Amino acid sequence: MKCYLGIDVGSISTNFVLVNEAGEVIYTLYIRTEGNPIKAVQAGLTMLKQNLSEKKMDVEVIGVGTTGSARYLVGAITGADLMKNEITAHARGASQFVPGLRTILEIGGQDSKIVILEDGSSVDFAMNLICSAGTGAFLDAQANRLKIPIEDFGDIALRSKKPTQLGARCTVFCESDMIHKQQIGHSTEDIVAGLCHGLVRNFLSSVAKGKNIKSKIVFQGGVSENKGIKKAFEDALQEEVIIPPYNTVMGAVGAAFLVRDKPPEKTKFLGFDITERDIRCSSFNCGGCPNNCEVIETRIDGKVAARWGDRCGKWSTMKLDI
Amino acid sequence: MVKKLIMDKTEKSVVTFARWGNYTIAVKGLLEQLGMKVILPPKTNSTIIADGAKIAPELFCFPMKVTLGGYLAVIREGVDTILSIQNVGGSCRQKYYGLIQEKVLKDGGYKVKFVDFRATPRDIFKALKKNSGATDWQVASAFYTFFQKLSLIERIEKMAAKIRPREINKGGTEKIVREGLASIEKTKNLKELLNLKKQIISKLKKVEIDNSREVFKVGMIGEIYTVTDPAINFDLEAKLGLDGIEVHREMNLTYHLKKLAFPWIDWLIQRRIYSYLQSTVGGHGRDAIGEMLTFIEKDFDGVIQLLPFGCMPEVTVRPILEKIRQENNIPFLSLSLDEQVAEAGINTRLEAFADVVKNYHFKKQKDLKRQKDARTLNVKKI
Repeated sequence: MKCYLGIDVGSISTNFVLVNEAGEVIYTLYIRTEGNPIKAVQAGLTMLKQNLSEKKMDVEVIGVGTTGSARYLVGAITGADLMKNEITAHARGASQFVPGLRTILEIGGQDSKIVILEDGSSVDFAMNLICSAGTGAFLDAQANRLKIPIEDFGDIALRSKKPTQLGARCTVFCESDMIHKQQIGHSTEDIVAGLCHGLVRNFLSSVAKGKNIKSKIVFQGGVSENKGIKKAFEDALQEEVIIPPYNTVMGAVGAAFLVRDKPPEKTKFLGFDITERDIRCSSFNCGGCPNNCEVIETRIDGKVAARWGDRCGKWSTMKLDI
Repeated sequence: MVKKLIMDKTEKSVVTFARWGNYTIAVKGLLEQLGMKVILPPKTNSTIIADGAKIAPELFCFPMKVTLGGYLAVIREGVDTILSIQNVGGSCRQKYYGLIQEKVLKDGGYKVKFVDFRATPRDIFKALKKNSGATDWQVASAFYTFFQKLSLIERIEKMAAKIRPREINKGGTEKIVREGLASIEKTKNLKELLNLKKQIISKLKKVEIDNSREVFKVGMIGEIYTVTDPAINFDLEAKLGLDGIEVHREMNLTYHLKKLAFPWIDWLIQRRIYSYLQSTVGGHGRDAIGEMLTFIEKDFDGVIQLLPFGCMPEVTVRPILEKIRQENNIPFLSLSLDEQVAEAGINTRLEAFADVVKNYHFKKQKDLKRQKDARTLNVKKI
């Protein structure tokens, strides 16, 4: 079977998706990045290969797309045909499953974004800048504090009848506010629901400020697993919020579909065996001019596979060993 | 002989001034022609920015921290006088840069003299004359060369923005620009400069271009320092250019100098934007609105606003720009820059914005075609 592989490497999770030529998603994999994108990709590809052979699926990869914050790095080590920013990738993925889609709310581990679409193509977007309030990392920290598993967060929130008002503008101040509310006797359910409402309020007033939110609205990213947040969005927007299929791996789905839209004549994919090879990534400061760019270099088995990060193109256009 | 007279003065001071994009070399040439000894701050990079941010008041605007970092680097090399100009960006906190930097440097234990003067033609002339000891005629002739250099630099910038998205050999234009600017810095007199001008411009004209390529037009507006200095805005113009996007900007040093000399330009802008903003907000706030309207009129495919984090005039007009965006449906991106901003984050936004711009462009074309088809169909019916 001929397939397109989409890889999304974010700060928290690394996702793999296989899409066949007919445009069906035939395989998804979600693993934790744990701060090491190279290892995560190697582990992911090994698992992918194993799973496929267990299922007796014969897959030939005819195109690879990468997205996420580590798209260039992962693109270099896997030999990607397309490296696309996560905003375009998410928009492409969601519009495949929800026709007539107008708004995408995406909350991931360390960033959150909103994309406005018209006729299936993105016309406006925004991403959170410096602050982490309003992301998955914020919820993770609070769940940890309340000693409840993040998986149960949504169900607990839904049980609340009267969500607590919490200032969720800043993670640090929210925490002190939450301790105060605990001390005056608010129940955990109400506080959890209050956190969900606070996060949504923060998202809508910072990231989504001034954006024209119209239905159909789609909510995706890791945090969309949380039913409490979905309900809080519906309460705040007074509109139905759709959770599309493959909501947690939508970036990878989008990347795969983007390659499928414009398939390469011959893929640059280096094959599954890169998992067994020694991949190292290092950086150095060029020093050739006062710009002093940080050049990043990837070596596979000691041979230079890619260089990037320079402004003038002195290093990135240099001949490679592979 | 002229030069000799000035050289004879004992204990010549070593001056520096804030770096500002490609215009730096023109200003350096001006001061050197007046017989001053100039040491330029090194090209702005992350170390310089971090150095400046370390000692600057945290909530002050970004350009102040950058220029302070630059001063620090050259004070160690023996600079004792800093020329600082007030109000380069209209009336805003820029006015107090000199004052505050002087205090910060003094507190840090650095001994340096600040020559802080206002940006009116008269004050600039007076300050330069006093500090160089040159005659009226010398100052005037140095200014003539300065304007020649400046116009050449700006012309190169403009031409490069046009050629970059169309060039066949990616990166070729950038190389000519870089080499050209370096040789402009080395020119000694007007004659050399005029020769060089011919060379660079003919080189740029010879760059192989592909005219059949679809080119997208984006207008860049916002605060003058971030808009014009490639070292500050992460080479935004070149980055978008290589992605097939032609970047236009009205803002450059000549634009600003013109506004100093002819104050009625401001009245004209005010009249144009009256329905959006009825008063000045300082800096180039009004200009940003006016420019955005111009770009929309010219049927551009997108507008980018650049501002230093916390820039009061630009922050004030941002909601107005958003409103104009919503009225006209044009792609709009506002980027606020400071020492905390990472290049990776900016790149992601720029890439996504480039996609949005392209979508918009093709949608516009499709709509136009549809309208045309409908019209021909109607004619046939009749």
